[in-house]
Amino acid sequence: MLRAIGFLGFIFLYIPLILLMAYSFNAGDRASLWVGFSTKWYFVLFENKELLKAAGISMRVAFFSATIATFLGVIAAFVLTRNKRFRGKVLIDGMVTSPLVMPEIITGFSMLILFISMQKFIGWPANRGMTTIILAHSTFCMAYVTVIIRSRLVDMDSSLEEAAQDLGAHPIFVFFQVTLPVISPAIVAGWLLAFTLSLDDAVIVQFTSGAGSTTLPAKIYSQVRQGVTPEYNALATLIIVIVGIAIITAMQIMNRTQRMHHV
Amino acid sequence: MNATDLRPWRDPSQKPLLQIKSVTKKFSDFVAVDDVSLDIYAGELFCLLGGSGCGKSTLLRMLAGFEEATEGQILLDGEDLSGVAPHERPTNMMFQSYALFPHMSVLKNVMYGLVHGGMTKAEAETTAMEMLKLVKLEKFIKRKPHQLSGGQRQRVALARALVKKPRLLLLDEPLGALDKKLREETQFELIRIQETLGVTFVVVTHDQEEAMTLASRIGVMNDGYIEQIGEPREIYEFPKSKFVANFIGDVNLFEGEMIVDEPDRAAVLNDSVGEIAITHGVSGTLGQELTIAVRPEKLEISKKKSAKMLNSAKGVVEDIAYLGSQSVYHVRLDSGKLVKAFRANRVREAEDDLTWEDRVVVGWDGSSGVVLSQ
Amino acid sequence: MINRIASFVGVRGVIALPMIWLLVFFLLPFIFVFVLSFSTIRNGMPPYEPVVNFKDSFLQLNIHLSSWERFFENPIYIGTFLSSAKTAFIATFLTLLIGFPMAYVIARAPEARRHLLLMLVILPFWTSFLLRVYAIKTILYNQGPVNQFLMKIGILEVNSPIQFLNTDFAVYLGIVYTYLPFMILPLYANLVKLEESVLEASSDLGAKPFWTFWQVVIPLSYPGIIAGCMLVFIPAVGEFVIPDLLGATDTKMIGKTIYVEYFNNRDYPMASVLSVVVLIVFVAPFLMMRKWQDKLAEVNDA
Repeated sequence: MLRAIGFLGFIFLYIPLILLMAYSFNAGDRASLWVGFSTKWYFVLFENKELLKAAGISMRVAFFSATIATFLGVIAAFVLTRNKRFRGKVLIDGMVTSPLVMPEIITGFSMLILFISMQKFIGWPANRGMTTIILAHSTFCMAYVTVIIRSRLVDMDSSLEEAAQDLGAHPIFVFFQVTLPVISPAIVAGWLLAFTLSLDDAVIVQFTSGAGSTTLPAKIYSQVRQGVTPEYNALATLIIVIVGIAIITAMQIMNRTQRMHHV
Repeated sequence: MNATDLRPWRDPSQKPLLQIKSVTKKFSDFVAVDDVSLDIYAGELFCLLGGSGCGKSTLLRMLAGFEEATEGQILLDGEDLSGVAPHERPTNMMFQSYALFPHMSVLKNVMYGLVHGGMTKAEAETTAMEMLKLVKLEKFIKRKPHQLSGGQRQRVALARALVKKPRLLLLDEPLGALDKKLREETQFELIRIQETLGVTFVVVTHDQEEAMTLASRIGVMNDGYIEQIGEPREIYEFPKSKFVANFIGDVNLFEGEMIVDEPDRAAVLNDSVGEIAITHGVSGTLGQELTIAVRPEKLEISKKKSAKMLNSAKGVVEDIAYLGSQSVYHVRLDSGKLVKAFRANRVREAEDDLTWEDRVVVGWDGSSGVVLSQ
Repeated sequence: MINRIASFVGVRGVIALPMIWLLVFFLLPFIFVFVLSFSTIRNGMPPYEPVVNFKDSFLQLNIHLSSWERFFENPIYIGTFLSSAKTAFIATFLTLLIGFPMAYVIARAPEARRHLLLMLVILPFWTSFLLRVYAIKTILYNQGPVNQFLMKIGILEVNSPIQFLNTDFAVYLGIVYTYLPFMILPLYANLVKLEESVLEASSDLGAKPFWTFWQVVIPLSYPGIIAGCMLVFIPAVGEFVIPDLLGATDTKMIGKTIYVEYFNNRDYPMASVLSVVVLIVFVAPFLMMRKWQDKLAEVNDA
């Protein structure tokens, strides 16, 4: 009984995605009424200059956001795990984890208010665009990166760092020669997660993007609201396939290094 | 051969290498190490022995510099170590988990400390190779830690900690992760390496047999205190407290009031044995509560009382455990007290003359008991 | 020595960076939102009266309580909160019903297969949230695959499809579908620690499988159930995309209302009031509970 429900659950998880992909090969122009097989929507997709441009913006935003978030997240995780107690730790701890449970709509709205106020008081940012999206994405992605790296740091045998120090390495060398290499799989995982989260966000951009800086999810979102064409199924199929392959490869690499590190 | 005593702690003119002076360590309101004073001499293999949570590891971590003492001083060669960061101390540590760097090869692991000590890569490589030869790992230098067996990892950890020739090598349960057979072999290996290099070892262990085998001297710790410091034989034969007597080896304890106190003999009145005679002087006063500790192998057991049994009691054999080299007898004395006696199995084919439910006499002479006042 | 001091200050600066970042881009915005909730709308850009003003070198506070008054007086707002909680609650319960058997199956699978099954759960989670909602939308159309399938097997009469899209059902389905991994992962983490021998002991002592499940498995997985439900409930309460894409136009979800106040009505102060209330009612208790759980864990570890 339990097994049967569990098995159906897996089917439930994949049927909608498979149907979504199947309809990208629909010859008709409705996303849900099957007419016949065709690959024409993929050609239509590649001629849609606006979508390609939005995809380009999204990639750039995701790259910078993930990189900033990872940089900040590594430091935050390190400070939080390797310092026993310091003033303001509770506040920082709270600030680091809160974005995880914050409804995106509120994160987006409060970012908007921040940018409006900043513009009023210090004149920057003059208008909203890629920079403001990156600032907002870096902030909420940083929380996820911090959580991933933090749990790795907690798991990590702290005597590794002590051993390096004991052998005469200055704490800075300890960090770069021992801590960073040991947690590097988690850093890669954190960066990838931040990248996909940024690439996926359709809510926060509603508040932080400006004219000419529409990202791909924002574009998809406004289209999906109206109802959709198989062109978007084709786009979705491409995204799912690319991300799927990337994730499976990344997981395999990580599993291999993980096995090595858990001696 | 000249007749220098190899036991510097017996020579008051010797200066200790490491002096621990009234060191206390508190974690908020928990006292982990309580007013410990200890001298360790160059070339020693000193064991800190105690159960989990007795403070032995904390003491070791203070020597390495990972914890600062709350009170007291730690001097190495007369120099105060307080405030000296771990990476600036002339000590090295072998960790219980080995703490091998998983992303570095065996050779890189061993070279790590040398490079940070200012050696060039080439020098470090030569020195590391020598050390790896000493621990018989020269064939595995390119392997990563996860490609080694437990015993091999242990030797890499030892080589890495030793290669800098530290003034003091700190070893935290160095054999704890090995299985019994390998552990016994490695004990002697460890002693060989220590004697070859002449480095001073401080070993933390919870295993009393390991401490007895390895140590030049043992410090028994309990609840943050050092209960007793001494050579293994001293600790075993002359324990100073009930805790030490109990912790190291088996012991039968007989409590009672002192009724005779003369310069060359004494006696204690015990419920089970009656008057326990002691054939040497005892520091104490008449009427004081004392404990007589008798090791099971010093208890004689037979059907009839022998001449050597100055002190004896009658009882019934309740249980016999045959352990191969010896047998353990549990004897219920007529007073209800249970005592343990060992007998070596010297003759292969001799059937045991004692069996369950036999009435027996257990006894010991006047010098086999240890008088404990605490 | 000077080098040392410089590097020390440098290290300090780098360490402080994430903290400064969070103060500016996370805490400060919420302070602004809180302040803004005491403002009122006006025409212009920005579309609200400033609360703090410098006038003739005096600091002026311009506090309006009108938005807060409207919030408490107009039953629509409180009603939206209640209906959000109800929707999130039902959806969380449904997710648990589907997620628990799945987590159980994974945890009891042979170790080699466990990784594959976990990967199958995590994979859709990594692809794209938006696309998963979109996938649900595609299959629910009146002429979509679900209706066609039901008509084909004769459950529905031809040409009389059920209206799935833009209903509460679609919202529940959307939440269950997109948040399922959040439920499964903590449950799995908990169930995998449950030793086979405990179950064997229970049946050895004569319990039928159902009772073993009810009296042994369920109680032992409470921590996972609580964690999973929290991870689904909290984001579901503030969900905006799912009710917007799958729900009816009059679906009352707080996330959607905030968006409408911001986007359609340009009533920033009202959006602020709603945000503040969401934080106080849903997010703050969750954070406090987590702190409390951490404390408990610390005590248990010691």
